[in-house]
Amino acid sequence: MTLPFLPIFVVDLLGSALMIFFAGACVRLSYGLHVQDRENVLWVYLLMVSHALAVFAVSRGVGHIAKQLLLLGGYRDIWDGLRPYSGSLNTISFCVVGAVTLFFERIWKVYQQILRDRHALREAHENLVSLNKRLEDAVAERTAELARSEQKFRRIFEASLDMIAVVASDGTVLDMNPAGREMLGIDGLNPQWGSGAERVSFGTFFARPEEWEQLKERLQRECSVADAEIDLVGRDGREISALLSAASQCDVLEKTEIFHLVVKDISQRKAMQQQLLQADKLASIGQLAAGVAHEINNPLGIILGYTQLLIREEPEGTERREDLKTIEKHTRTCKTIVEDLLSFARRSHTKKEPASVRDIIDEVLSVVRHNLELRRIEVETHFDPQIPALVVDKDKLRQVFMNLIMNAQQAIGKDGRISIRTVFGDDGKHVRVSVSDTGTGIEPKHLPRIFDPFFTTKSTGEGTGLGLSVSYGIVKDHGGEILVESEPGKGSVFTVLLPVTAEPVESGGRDD
Amino acid sequence: MGVPGGASATQVHAEPEGLCSHQLGHGFFVVSMGVLVYWLRGRRLIRHKGWRYLQYSAILFVVWNLDAILVHYLENRDDLFMKFSEGTLHAFLQPYPGREWVTVLFYLGKMDHLLCVPAIVFLYLALRQMIRSPHRFSPQDDERP
Repeated sequence: MTLPFLPIFVVDLLGSALMIFFAGACVRLSYGLHVQDRENVLWVYLLMVSHALAVFAVSRGVGHIAKQLLLLGGYRDIWDGLRPYSGSLNTISFCVVGAVTLFFERIWKVYQQILRDRHALREAHENLVSLNKRLEDAVAERTAELARSEQKFRRIFEASLDMIAVVASDGTVLDMNPAGREMLGIDGLNPQWGSGAERVSFGTFFARPEEWEQLKERLQRECSVADAEIDLVGRDGREISALLSAASQCDVLEKTEIFHLVVKDISQRKAMQQQLLQADKLASIGQLAAGVAHEINNPLGIILGYTQLLIREEPEGTERREDLKTIEKHTRTCKTIVEDLLSFARRSHTKKEPASVRDIIDEVLSVVRHNLELRRIEVETHFDPQIPALVVDKDKLRQVFMNLIMNAQQAIGKDGRISIRTVFGDDGKHVRVSVSDTGTGIEPKHLPRIFDPFFTTKSTGEGTGLGLSVSYGIVKDHGGEILVESEPGKGSVFTVLLPVTAEPVESGGRDD
Repeated sequence: MGVPGGASATQVHAEPEGLCSHQLGHGFFVVSMGVLVYWLRGRRLIRHKGWRYLQYSAILFVVWNLDAILVHYLENRDDLFMKFSEGTLHAFLQPYPGREWVTVLFYLGKMDHLLCVPAIVFLYLALRQMIRSPHRFSPQDDERP
């Protein structure tokens, strides 16, 4: 039995060539895998195995091919020289393959650990991203909420018609809204509140600085003050009556003390209260005077009638007739006063009809012009042509303007100017008639009383003190206002505001 | 130093040691491939085609190594066969009487490329499969069934 070596020879040569080829192909594929995912340690492992196998395959394949070819070529001695190296290289290479293979378990565990860590990291990252997103949303929402709140309170602060101020305990204004700045006349000031040269101290605006000190004490003691009535003086010197409510941050831990103030200007309200008081006083006096006048009017009529009868029977030039004339004259004076009183009390009949204010004033001026010229008093008139006809009692209004012009004349004495100006109000509902003079003016202390009946600064016999009272009553009866501005030594301005009404009105007096 | 002489302090490694270490190397290769097969199966990686091919490759390498160990062993026996015309295309073997079947076993085992080529082909197929449809591993792959 013989067994030929040829099949072994063929299989050896072909097999070795195929081994080399596939080992190279394996190296290329495993490198491709590694490139696909460089962080995958498993592919690194396979790359190592492939390389080791390639080395093994090449060394073995080359060895076998060389062996067959050298033996066939009759170079046995060369092969005998190469053989130990080829065999050793083979041994080393498949030992390396075996050793690398044994690392699989460790590699796998490392890889699994990497996967777990990566998974945990990804989860942690996702959680962080989610938390971050939630946090960002919450911050954005809170920021928007704060912005809305800030805007809301800023709007209240800016739009408030009352002063809102933040003041430090030493009085330094830290912030103040536009209404407050306007109230105190520091509109133009643009201070860096609380610092710098333009530092504003709230205490300096108090008319009585001790009130500020008292207020601070109360705030520090009670933490809040409600509706304290104070008087402030603006930078422009304007006096302001105000209601102040304040609160302080009563936090023991906080060293800084901040006061939050709300100040309401009640000057107008106080003026109105004063006016109401005046009106009330006038109404009371009017009622009283009217009652008295009503009772006196009839006896005076009788006295006047009988006196005139007695005069008629008395011959001219007798002493008795002169006495009776004196009685008649003074009785007439009394009657005039009583009629004025009744007029003031609106007990006389009022008949309103459309009339031109200009005509009424012209009529009055035509009566008094001669008198004024004698005293060298110049009269200026400015009539607004747009003024419509007003529904007024012409006689009574004439009396009003007569009173005002005569008062102006008496205030001037000699050499001066009276200006009469009519203006149709912007709102189309009022006509403003102002009578100004260059006379002596009215003392401020007298201003609240000038419309009081029987109040007069003229000497006895020059005035009854009823002229302005009666004028006041007439203007009020027309639904109007009479205002006065005066500066001692410079003159006065009396302003009559009359409403524009469409229909004539019959206002009933209770004249009997 | 330049002239080699007797080195009695070191052990002498005569010819049989090379074969022995080579055989041990094959044995180590068998063990490592066997362990790889065990782990691939244990980790259930053979559910995926690529890793299954890798298992086949390892099994074939195990068989090839066993074959190589056997062939190396038989080749070093002087009592099995005689070689004639060695180094030519007409070389042949002639077994000693009574050693025929062992000689046939050697003859077949000598064509070991019939085992190692398929083994490396399976490795190639495994890698190709992996590169075509890479399996995304997960930590759950580590759980044993």
